[in-house]
Amino acid sequence: MSRPRPLSLAAGGLGAVVLAALASGLHAQGVKISDPTSVVMIVNRDSNDIAFMDIKTRKMVGSVFLGNNVNPHMVMMSPDGRYVVTGGTRANKAFIIDTRTLQLVKVIPTDIAPEHLAFSPDSRWYYQGNPDGDSISVIDMQSLSKIKTIPGFVEPLNVTFLPDGSKAYVGNYGAHWVGVVDVRRHELLKKIQIAEVPGVAKLDPGKYLSGIKGINIAAPSYDGRYLYAADSDLAVVGVIDTREDKVVKVIRVGRDPWRIYMSHDGKYGITANNGDETISIIDTRTNSVAATLEAGPDMTGVNFAGGKAFVISSTSGFVYVYDMQSLKPAGRIKIGTNIQLETATTDTADQKIYLAESTNHEVVIIDAKTHAIERVRNVGLFPWGTHIMDSKDNYCH
Amino acid sequence: MHDRVRLRKIIKMCTDLARVAAALVLCGSTAAAQPPAMPAQMNMADHRGAVTGRVRNASGAGVVDATVTAVHAENGAQFTATTDAEGAYAFEALPIGKYDLSIVLAGLTAFRQRGIDVAADRSVQVDIVLNAASAAQAAEGERLELLQKIATLEQRISDLESTTVLSEPETRVRRVEVFVDDSGNEHDEPVPGAKPAVTYRRERVYRRQTISEKIEEALEEAGKRSVSVGVDAAIGTQVAGRTQGLSSLAHNHAYALASADLFFTAGLAQNTLFFADIVGLSGSPPDAEIPTLTLLNGYTARLVRQNELNLREAWLRTELFGQRLALTAGRLDLTNYFDANAVANDESTQFLSDALVNNQMLGLASNGTGVAAEFDAKTGFRFKFGLQQSNTEATNLSESMYTLTEAGYTFTPLALPEGTYRVWFRTDNSSATTRKGIGVSVDQKLSPAVALFGRYGTQEGDLGRDHFYSAGVGFQSGLIFNPQDTWGVGYAQMELASGEREKLAEGFYNFHLTERLRLSFHLTHVLDAPGVDAKFGYLLPGVRLQAAF
Repeated sequence: MSRPRPLSLAAGGLGAVVLAALASGLHAQGVKISDPTSVVMIVNRDSNDIAFMDIKTRKMVGSVFLGNNVNPHMVMMSPDGRYVVTGGTRANKAFIIDTRTLQLVKVIPTDIAPEHLAFSPDSRWYYQGNPDGDSISVIDMQSLSKIKTIPGFVEPLNVTFLPDGSKAYVGNYGAHWVGVVDVRRHELLKKIQIAEVPGVAKLDPGKYLSGIKGINIAAPSYDGRYLYAADSDLAVVGVIDTREDKVVKVIRVGRDPWRIYMSHDGKYGITANNGDETISIIDTRTNSVAATLEAGPDMTGVNFAGGKAFVISSTSGFVYVYDMQSLKPAGRIKIGTNIQLETATTDTADQKIYLAESTNHEVVIIDAKTHAIERVRNVGLFPWGTHIMDSKDNYCH
Repeated sequence: MHDRVRLRKIIKMCTDLARVAAALVLCGSTAAAQPPAMPAQMNMADHRGAVTGRVRNASGAGVVDATVTAVHAENGAQFTATTDAEGAYAFEALPIGKYDLSIVLAGLTAFRQRGIDVAADRSVQVDIVLNAASAAQAAEGERLELLQKIATLEQRISDLESTTVLSEPETRVRRVEVFVDDSGNEHDEPVPGAKPAVTYRRERVYRRQTISEKIEEALEEAGKRSVSVGVDAAIGTQVAGRTQGLSSLAHNHAYALASADLFFTAGLAQNTLFFADIVGLSGSPPDAEIPTLTLLNGYTARLVRQNELNLREAWLRTELFGQRLALTAGRLDLTNYFDANAVANDESTQFLSDALVNNQMLGLASNGTGVAAEFDAKTGFRFKFGLQQSNTEATNLSESMYTLTEAGYTFTPLALPEGTYRVWFRTDNSSATTRKGIGVSVDQKLSPAVALFGRYGTQEGDLGRDHFYSAGVGFQSGLIFNPQDTWGVGYAQMELASGEREKLAEGFYNFHLTERLRLSFHLTHVLDAPGVDAKFGYLLPGVRLQAAF
């Protein structure tokens, strides 16, 4: 075997570089997103699409149109990064997008008004909640087909899988119980009542009989052992032990808690109490309220970043900030006037918050440390929510 | 032809070289860096394959702009590619699996091939010739697809039957920033020489709403533009039993005082609203017969004339500087905006005795024209300042000026839940000399269920300094019958420079019956010493029924 001469090596190397560049150029024609963690997904309700924004450059990578009058509600990427899915609330369908090529690869009929959704940790099952159909559509992500519709829920809003994927817990906004689903058989196993409706409720038909505002979500503790479920009408948070599937503590919070949001370090949970415009900060070690602090009207979300909690007050145009060390207010950030704030996601470094602002069709990026904001305009019509793969703050209204 | 084959081989070789180079770079970087995070590992597992080829017609010429469709046989995922000027097409990154490849021309399926195997990191070449044989083969596939479409349509009809909704496009108006140049041309983006300007623009969107959603929106919109009316009505009954002293005027007498407040609120402009409170009272409170230093029924302070309506407050409020500064001007009860103790500040839902509702050293007897400013940094710190006419009989404001200043701070001290600590200072020049007073007010939660409160105040009097103290505890959740019930006990003491003394204790339990209705039971004991040897004491059980809506 003869060794090549240096000149041939250099020429060969140069050729390889040029040809590799050519080849990579060809490859890029088909692939729009090579790293699923590099983008923010934006669900645009009125332009009926899912838009993708590069986190580093703030440029739009592309968008996937779903069809007129689809009105997508929540977007989520599968844990393995292969697919992006959304439920089209007014189309009664689930939409599946290939992450790499941004092609809409499958449309699957669901039940009525699909909104919030969740993936099993192994990415195999996509549970789509259908609040108006009182059901969960189970979609197999291997065959990309709906394999079952689980009935028996009452306005199911959010689904939470256990870390081992064995069970899923469903918050029923039209009732005061959390549903337990056996993921192996996709069957509703049990209904866990969060708290008893007080006897005095019969004197107040205006509140208790006009419409139930029950449980939005059962949010997991840091280790997944416990779930925290806020009940709006009863103004309590029930703590569920997932080993025994029973309530071990009931914590009274402020009026009309929309839902609970868990801090990334697992120390606290925050309920956004729209009835009295406060937040209740729950210490998860003692399972008691550590502080109740003033907030704003019509809260739609809480994000955690930089040791602080950022509470979105949708109609006031403000994001209220709280220091999670001292548990006291740390100011508020004005996003705008006469605008509607929606929901937000936090990057995986816990440094930036990506907030959907629907009036001006923009995403507002908040620096958690300095509270400085940056606007990315024209992301699509009526951005309703955002999502980043592996973010700990992926939620919807 | 040979050249093209060679070129394709070169491109394939380049692709392989690029992969090798990428793999080498990856090896180098992974050797030096920390192990990649979980998602990255999962992404690396997402291997893809490629399908490339050429589409020719029966005469062998390349077909331009034909859409080639690849459908994953197992999950139905659908990918498309378009042929170039030479009829070449490429699917560069298909998930692995078996695919059906098809081409539709002029609405007819001209080609279909099933079961093309796409393997990880491999490229499959499928060259297609569109001729009569391929069209016939495709027709059979077309028939099967049609049957599938019929099934889908049946499902769609079923969907429509169950979810009939409005589907006309929605229009709305929004405020937008545009850029106008010297010629008056409007641009959406900045252009040289154009100035930013604000305008309003209609936009049309495809948002499908149900009829009930439309009605809800319309009602909400109408509600925002109307004047809101609120009512707070209460009736308090008390019975007096003498416990000490000779005075027997009020012994075993029953008292009742009914009050109704009508509130009117209207939004006038951005962050600006109008508020008016008209109150009417009727009845006899114990304060008419028992000469205590403080009012035994807090509602008595509102009683100007029996059975007559009285304008308590009417003001405009606006918020400035990012809504950090709130200004209120008009006819005010200035003490409403200061010393807002969370546990003992409201005679309609908490203690009934005025000594456990207000700091008696605030010293403002009547409502009047004034201004209040509140700065709230939303960091827990608040600063307030207000001035008000203190004597409604005065002919000018200069000689009846009451001012009140307060600084407050909310925080969570010593691992306790939140507490608010306030200090205030007031002046009043309505008498011959300017009278001054100072006080503190604290409410501190010990747990989510238990909160302590305390007040202290002192003022200058003609004979020296007057002092006022109050303290107590409030309960919610835990030791209660119903979830929203509250109860509390409190003690207040007043010592005037003139030598008059008062000691008052009250306990109450407030049943939160509904969102709008509350019923509370009170037990108050008061012991007054108007002179050195004169003393009297009364025990007053009472009931209060309060409705707010």
